[in-house]
Amino acid sequence: MNSTTTGRSLGLLVCLQCHATVRGLKLSHPRCPRCDAHLFQRKPHSLALTAALLLCAAVLYVPANLLPVMYTRTIFDEEKDTIMSGVLVLLHSGSWPIAVLVFIASIVVPLLKIISLSVVLFSAWRRSPRYRTQRSELYRMVEFIGRWSMLDVYAISLLVALVQIRSLATVAVGWGALAFGAVVVLTLFAARTFDERLLWEPPP
Amino acid sequence: MPSVIVCPSCDLAHRADMAPPTTRTLCARCRALLQRPENANIDTAIGLAAAALVLFLLSNAYPLVAIHSNGTTRSARLAGAALGLYRQGHAGLALLVFLTTIVGPFLQIASLLYLLIPLRRKRRAPGQSTIFRLLAQVRPWTFVEVFMLGAVVALVRLAMFARVVPGVALWSCALLMLTLAALTSITSPGQFWRWVEQSRA
Repeated sequence: MNSTTTGRSLGLLVCLQCHATVRGLKLSHPRCPRCDAHLFQRKPHSLALTAALLLCAAVLYVPANLLPVMYTRTIFDEEKDTIMSGVLVLLHSGSWPIAVLVFIASIVVPLLKIISLSVVLFSAWRRSPRYRTQRSELYRMVEFIGRWSMLDVYAISLLVALVQIRSLATVAVGWGALAFGAVVVLTLFAARTFDERLLWEPPP
Repeated sequence: MPSVIVCPSCDLAHRADMAPPTTRTLCARCRALLQRPENANIDTAIGLAAAALVLFLLSNAYPLVAIHSNGTTRSARLAGAALGLYRQGHAGLALLVFLTTIVGPFLQIASLLYLLIPLRRKRRAPGQSTIFRLLAQVRPWTFVEVFMLGAVVALVRLAMFARVVPGVALWSCALLMLTLAALTSITSPGQFWRWVEQSRA
C-alpha cells in the first residue's frame, strides 16, 4: 500500500454515518452492513448541489445585511436595526467584547463561509492539485464554525419574546432576520452536501 | 491484505496496524482526524444522558430570564423564543429556532438513552440502526451552545433599559450545554458500534 492508495482503488467504501470501511459490493445501491446507511463512492451531485445552495446564500447575504432585522417601538419613536447597527448599539453601550463577538459571528463568519466554500468548490471542480491539504483544512474549519452564525437569530428571538411591554417598548422581527436565517441554513447545507473527497481526485 | 482504514475526508487507505486504536491518528494526506483513543464506559454515557435529560426538562419548565421595568415584569421560557417569532408571522424562523433548540437536543438525548440502556444489558434496541442514523442526522443540528451565547447577547442589550433577572432555565441551559458536549465526545459513532460489538461477545 503506497502513499496514494485510495479506498476507491481498493474497491472500498466508507460509511459516512458510522465510518465503517466496507468492501464495495457490486450492487447498484449498496448499504452499510453495520448501520444500514446508503453508501456512496462520492456524495451524489455534490458539486452541483453545493454550488446551487451557495449561490442562493450569496444572493440572500445582501438583504440579510441591508434589511432591518428588528424594529423597536417605544412610546417616543421607532427604531430600525440591521445586523450592523445592532453591533454599533452594543459598541456604544460600552459592551465592546459582545459587539466584537456579534460582529464576527454575524458578519464575518457568513461572508468567510461563502468565500471559503466557493474557493473549495472551485478547486474541486478544477481538480486543482495545489494546496489540497490547506483546502481540506479550510473546509473542515467552515464546517466547524458555521453554526455560530445562528447567534443573532437567537438573540433576536429572545428580545422579541421578552420586550412586549405596551407601555414601554415592543420589539418586532424584520424580514432581514428571515434572510439572515436562510443564509445560515443554506451555508450549513452547502457545507454538508459538499464531498470533501472531491478535493483529492487525481487531476484530469 | 491487512485490514484497512479509509479516511472519510479524502479516501486515502491506511493500514489498520499503522494506526493502533490506542493513539490519536491523523490522516497522512489531509490531516483529518482518523482515529482517537476511546474507551468510554457505557455507564458514564448513560449517566450523562440521564443528567442531560433532567437539565433539558428543567430548561423547558422554568423561565430563562425575567425583565423588570416600571413595575412590569415579563419572563420568557425556552419555547417562548420560537413562539414569539411564530406569533409575529415568521413561521419559518420560528421552526428553525424550535428545531435547533428543543427538538434537536431532545432527539439526541432520547435516542441515545433508547440505544444505550438495552445495550448495557447485552440487548439491542428494536430499530437500532435506524435510530443510530437518526442520531447521526440530528447531531449537527443541536445548537444549545450557540443559543446560550445568543441569550447572553440579548441580556446585554436588555440590561441597557431594564433590570434583568436570570432564571433557573438559564443556568440549567448552561449546564446542559456542557453535559451535551461531554456526551457527544464520548459517544462517537465508532465508540457506539464498539459497544454494540462488545455486547455481542
